[in-house]
Amino acid sequence: MSHISSFPRAIIHIDGDAFFASCEQARNPKLQGKPVITGKERGIAASISYEAKALGITRGMSLHEIKKTCPGVVMLPSDYETYSLLSKRFFMIVRRYTPEVEEYSIDECFADITGMRRTLQMGYPEIAESIKRDLDAALGFTFSVGLGVNKSIAKLGSKWKKPSGLTIIPYQNIPTYLEKLPAVKIWGIGSNTASFLERHRIFTALHFARKHWDWIKTNLSKPFQEIWRELNGEYVFQLETEPKTNYYTIGKTKTFTPPSRDRKYVFSQLSKNIENACIKARRYNLAASGVAFYLRQQDFRHTGLELKLSRLTAIPADLIKLADEHFDEFFYSKTEYRATSVILLGLQEDETAQLDLFGDAIKMTEKKKLYEAVDAVNKKYGKHKLYLASSFLANKYSQHLGDRGDIPERKQNMFLGETKRRRLGIPMFSGE
Amino acid sequence: MSQDRFQQLISFYRKHKRMPSYGELVKLFGLKSKSPAYKFTAKLLDQGLIGKDASGRLLPTAIFSELPILGTVAAGWPSPAEEEISNTMNLDDYLIRNKEATYLFKVKGDSMSGAGIMDGDMALVERGRQAKDGDIVLAEIDREWTLKYFRKRNGKVYLEAANKKYGLIYPNEELKVAAVLVSVIRKYKF
Repeated sequence: MSHISSFPRAIIHIDGDAFFASCEQARNPKLQGKPVITGKERGIAASISYEAKALGITRGMSLHEIKKTCPGVVMLPSDYETYSLLSKRFFMIVRRYTPEVEEYSIDECFADITGMRRTLQMGYPEIAESIKRDLDAALGFTFSVGLGVNKSIAKLGSKWKKPSGLTIIPYQNIPTYLEKLPAVKIWGIGSNTASFLERHRIFTALHFARKHWDWIKTNLSKPFQEIWRELNGEYVFQLETEPKTNYYTIGKTKTFTPPSRDRKYVFSQLSKNIENACIKARRYNLAASGVAFYLRQQDFRHTGLELKLSRLTAIPADLIKLADEHFDEFFYSKTEYRATSVILLGLQEDETAQLDLFGDAIKMTEKKKLYEAVDAVNKKYGKHKLYLASSFLANKYSQHLGDRGDIPERKQNMFLGETKRRRLGIPMFSGE
Repeated sequence: MSQDRFQQLISFYRKHKRMPSYGELVKLFGLKSKSPAYKFTAKLLDQGLIGKDASGRLLPTAIFSELPILGTVAAGWPSPAEEEISNTMNLDDYLIRNKEATYLFKVKGDSMSGAGIMDGDMALVERGRQAKDGDIVLAEIDREWTLKYFRKRNGKVYLEAANKKYGLIYPNEELKVAAVLVSVIRKYKF
C-alpha cells in the first residue's frame, strides 16, 4: 500500500462570520456585542449578528416580527457599497497567498494552496492559520476557515466550528468528520435528496460515502456521484478562478416603500431597473436577446411577461419602449405594487454591426455611441447623473420613504468633494 | 556549428569571468571526449581569437569583453521619461501602506489640534498594526472612537490629547486600539 499524504490537494474554504452584520459592528463600537441585523430597507433580516442569532432571529424574519419579539435589536439599512469594498479586500488578502482563488460569493471563497509550502515557507495548516490571522486583523471581525483535500471537505471544515473556527481535515481524518455530519448538511444535498437517502438508511455523510459506488451510480445523478467521490477524498470540483464576466442573465429588482398603485410611478421604477440592468450589460459588453419584466404585489405574488427580441440590445430605450407597449398586460390599476424587476435574457457578446433586413444596424451604431457617451458621463460624475425621463419619478424620490427609508450612514457622512453617488472606495469607521 | 560554439564560449566567459577548462568545454559543447575540444581551440588559436598561457590554460582576447558592433544608426538623445516614471508612486501608494487594512475616519472635535489635526479632517488609519509609544491611534473609549496619542510609560498605557483642554485618558480595563493613524488629508477646494 502506497503512502497517501495528508493533503494530496490543499483546498481552503473561507467564510466571513455573519458578514454584513460584522461589517457594521467592526466599524462602529456602539454595535459591538449587541444584536444587530441588516436588511432594514428590505423589511427582513438579511444578515444576523451572533448576538441576534442567540435571540433566535433567523434569516428572512420580518422586521415587524423581530420588533415584537426582540425589541432591543439594532436594525440597519444595508450598505452594499461598504460590504463590497470589504469583500474585495477579503479576496485580495487571500490572493497574497495564492493566485488560485474562487470568489464563491460576497462573503465566501475557495483557495487552492497546493504546492505553496515552499514559496510561503509554511505547512498547509500554518498557511490557513496565517490567512485567517491576516483577515481577522485587517477587517476587524472573524472568519471561519476549513482546510481539506477538495472543495467539499474544505467547505465542511469552515462550517464545522463557527464563528472564528479553523478546522484542518487531513485525508486520513475525513471519516471522523463525515460520521458526525447529517446527510442533509452535505454541501450540495438538499432536503429532497436527503429524505431519499434516509429511506435507504443513509443518515450521515459517512453512511453516504461508504455506500458502494455501484449503488450510487444506479440510484443518483451525476452531481451526487461527484459529491460521493469528493467525500471519499477525490478532487473533483474545480475552482473557478476566473472573475465572473460571463453573465447569461442579468437581473435587477428593487423594492420601494410605500407600495404604489400609481401606473406612472411603478413604470418609472421599472424603467430605472431597466437602465441599471443595461448599464451592467454594457459594462461586460453584453447584449440581450430576450427580456422579462415582473411586478411584485403587496402579498408577494407577481405578474410578468417575457419577450423575445428581434436583435441584440443593451440600450434601455429599446427595452423601455417594449415595456411601455406591453405594460398593461401585467399591470392592474387597482393593485398595489412594492417591487419591479427586469431580467435580461440570452446575453451574448455585443459585437453589433449585425446587419438586419431593415438597415437598423446604422441606427444601432449611433445609439451605441450615444450610450458610450452616457456611460462616460456617469463614470465621471456618478451613477444616474444622466438618466432617461421615464425613470424620473423613481430617481426623484428616495427608494424607501418613512422608516425603511433610512440611508446607510456612509452616504450621509461625506467628505468635501464626495457626492451621494460617488465616494472614496475606502470603508469608513463610524459611530454617530 | 563552430560559430555557435564560439558564442557559447563567449557566454561562458561573460558568466564566469574566466575561460573554461577542457573538461568544462566538453560539458559545454555536449561532447563525449576532450579531443574535439582540443581541435576546436586549436582552430581558434590559429585565428587569434583566443590565447594560451605558459601552463596551457586558455586566455581570452579583447573580443570576449566587447560587444561586436554591427553598424551604426543615427538616433536622438534617449528620452529619460520612461525610466524615470517607473520611480514614481501615486498618492494612494504614498498615503497608504497596507491597502487592505486601511480605513477612513472623519475627525471630530479639537482634541488633536495641537498635532495639526482638525475637526472634519480625513484620517487614514491602519487596522491591526501594533501601536508604538507616540503613535496617534484610533481607540475605543466608552463605545466611541477617539483619535489620540498612544503613550506607554512603565508598562502602563494611556491616551493623550494634543490640546491642553483635555486630560489624560487611562482605560478602566484594557485599552482597545483599533487602528494606527497613517495619514491625514484635508481638502480645500474641488
